[in-house]
Amino acid sequence: MTDKLTRILYVEDEPDIQMVARLALEALGGYTVEICSSGDEALQRAPGFQPQLFLLDVMMPGMDGPSTLKLLRALPQFAHTPVIFMTAKIQPGEVAGYKELGVVDVIPKPFDPMLLASKVQDIWERYHD
Amino acid sequence: MTDPTELQTKLEFLCDTYAAQLPEKLKHIEQVWEQLPQDSWDEEGFQTLHHMVHSLTGSGKTFGFALLSDVARNLEEHLNQIAQEKTALSEDQRQYIHKLMSELNKAACYREALLSEQASLVVGVPPNPDALIPRRIFVLEDDSEQAEELKVQLGYFGYEVTVFNTLADFRSVMQRTSDVVILTDIAFPDNSLGGIEVIKEIQQGRETPFPVIFISAHNEFVIRLEAARAGGIAYLSKPVNIGKLIDKLDSVASTLTTLPYRVMIVDDSVDTTTYYSEVLEQARMVTKAVHNPLNVIKALLEFAPDLILIDLYMPKCNGMDLAKVIRQLDAFVSIPIVFLSAEIDLDKQLVAMSLGGDDFLAKPILPQHLISSVNSRIRRSLILRSLVLRDSLTGLFNHTAIKDELDREVARSKRYGTPLAFAMIDIDHFKQINDTYGHPIGDRVIKSLARLLKQRLRASDLVGRYGGEEFAVILVNADRAAALQVLDAIRQDFSQLRHLSDGKEFTVTFSCGIADVSQFRDATKLIEASDKVLYNAKHAGRNQVAVSDAPVWEAAGFI
Repeated sequence: MTDKLTRILYVEDEPDIQMVARLALEALGGYTVEICSSGDEALQRAPGFQPQLFLLDVMMPGMDGPSTLKLLRALPQFAHTPVIFMTAKIQPGEVAGYKELGVVDVIPKPFDPMLLASKVQDIWERYHD
Repeated sequence: MTDPTELQTKLEFLCDTYAAQLPEKLKHIEQVWEQLPQDSWDEEGFQTLHHMVHSLTGSGKTFGFALLSDVARNLEEHLNQIAQEKTALSEDQRQYIHKLMSELNKAACYREALLSEQASLVVGVPPNPDALIPRRIFVLEDDSEQAEELKVQLGYFGYEVTVFNTLADFRSVMQRTSDVVILTDIAFPDNSLGGIEVIKEIQQGRETPFPVIFISAHNEFVIRLEAARAGGIAYLSKPVNIGKLIDKLDSVASTLTTLPYRVMIVDDSVDTTTYYSEVLEQARMVTKAVHNPLNVIKALLEFAPDLILIDLYMPKCNGMDLAKVIRQLDAFVSIPIVFLSAEIDLDKQLVAMSLGGDDFLAKPILPQHLISSVNSRIRRSLILRSLVLRDSLTGLFNHTAIKDELDREVARSKRYGTPLAFAMIDIDHFKQINDTYGHPIGDRVIKSLARLLKQRLRASDLVGRYGGEEFAVILVNADRAAALQVLDAIRQDFSQLRHLSDGKEFTVTFSCGIADVSQFRDATKLIEASDKVLYNAKHAGRNQVAVSDAPVWEAAGFI
């Protein structure tokens, strides 16, 4: 029996995307969403929030998505928590690289706010099949 | 879960906020670009620029600026290529980026309706080349005085208007009506949302919904939202601004009268191309199949498609490489490329898109899905092209664009030996109109002539606004005698049109000069000649069409 997805932590540096994603995931998906503006912030807040799923932007100033992922994996409680990258950065080498890092899927940006929640849900269910 | 209306409101608010910040962002991008040194490589500056453009790519569509995302992605990829060289930019590179930046600015003006589902139902209708411009309008309005006023005003713009004062009358007539644009009030004596309800009723089950414009004294968001849900393409507040209304009606007309979309299909399998061709042709598109990727460039130049469908895996050259090659051609920088493949791996799909593809369709694809993806891609790219090429007041080609078109058409006419006529038109005493009635009325006169030309000429003819009150017309497959006949009829009709300003009626005329390729085999000379004849027409008393009497070029040598 798959756990019901309720808690999502989303790391994204752009405020406008943060707001629209929060609206899409909370209002349409009914999830509880914690949003962090940087990888550092995510590392601090994740242990308290205990997310079941991470959404990570790839291209962020300072610590980028892949680096954030590595540091999260170093924390025992998040060693196996599924991670989805959200990105417009979809160059050939990069996509292959994401998979090697062990992300479960990539959601291309720009995303449709009306479909984001159902996309996340699909990935969650497929991951637990 | 949140109430959908509330969600929509919040979403709309976020989109408005994004839209409000957009000009500032674009200005910033331009500043960073202009500050990059010309003669050396500035890694940091370039990274900043790249990051800012990337952020538009990743956000535009989310906030209703899909076109902006497309153009930004294109620019970003170009920046990526340059970043690999890490050398000072060449003049070509600078110009090219400059061009994409101006496309970016144009694209930022184009915002898709948030309720895109409904909007696309109307706009996404496959264009029907035989469709007449919808000149029939039904006005549903309980206030008979307002209704009559609308009828009179729209009449001046050549629309045939039928008025209904009650929901019941309207309902019964709509049961046996098609091809009409509906203009309706929202509140009726017996039902405060009667207009919306009756529209929902008549649209139900229709494959092609009627274009509907709502007019209302109310401006609450909830009512607007209901109107959009009922399939309204526009919502105008009372008192109705007739200019705005005409613009909306024109945009309905232009989406319904475009030429059929042209799609090129590149796939090594003949069975596959035949199948896709059949599907798309049923949706009234024109297709061309190319089986050998090495022939693509030649076919591109000849067929001039609006969109290219490419099979991802072909023996001689894979689809991704092909897309890269196509994108390197200046004329095809912004043509939509859609990949077709049995590939269902998301990674590979993403890779395909990053290499210049705009969309990815997995085989086998449902015919309906293929048609709608192709349709919406083409529609969006045509909008971008038209933003760049069109005159903003009239929607006609602008000065540069119509000259480019003339070059192209003259070349084509020489190649195939087909006739081609060119006409210059100038509104008589236009300065007087502006001085007497004011510029807004002058603009309306210009628009009415633009519309008359578009309505009366064939879809294949090209019309441009050459200057202030000057128009240029390219009549393909027509000689000067045929052009004279058509344009003189238009001249007579235009002189009968009654324009209105503050309750006063007035009429306007134009003069016209024509020449054709049998006399002048060069675009510049054609323009000069028709301009000269136009001058003669003005001199001979205006309100007339004159034809160049220059001898036929080299006739002796060919006959």
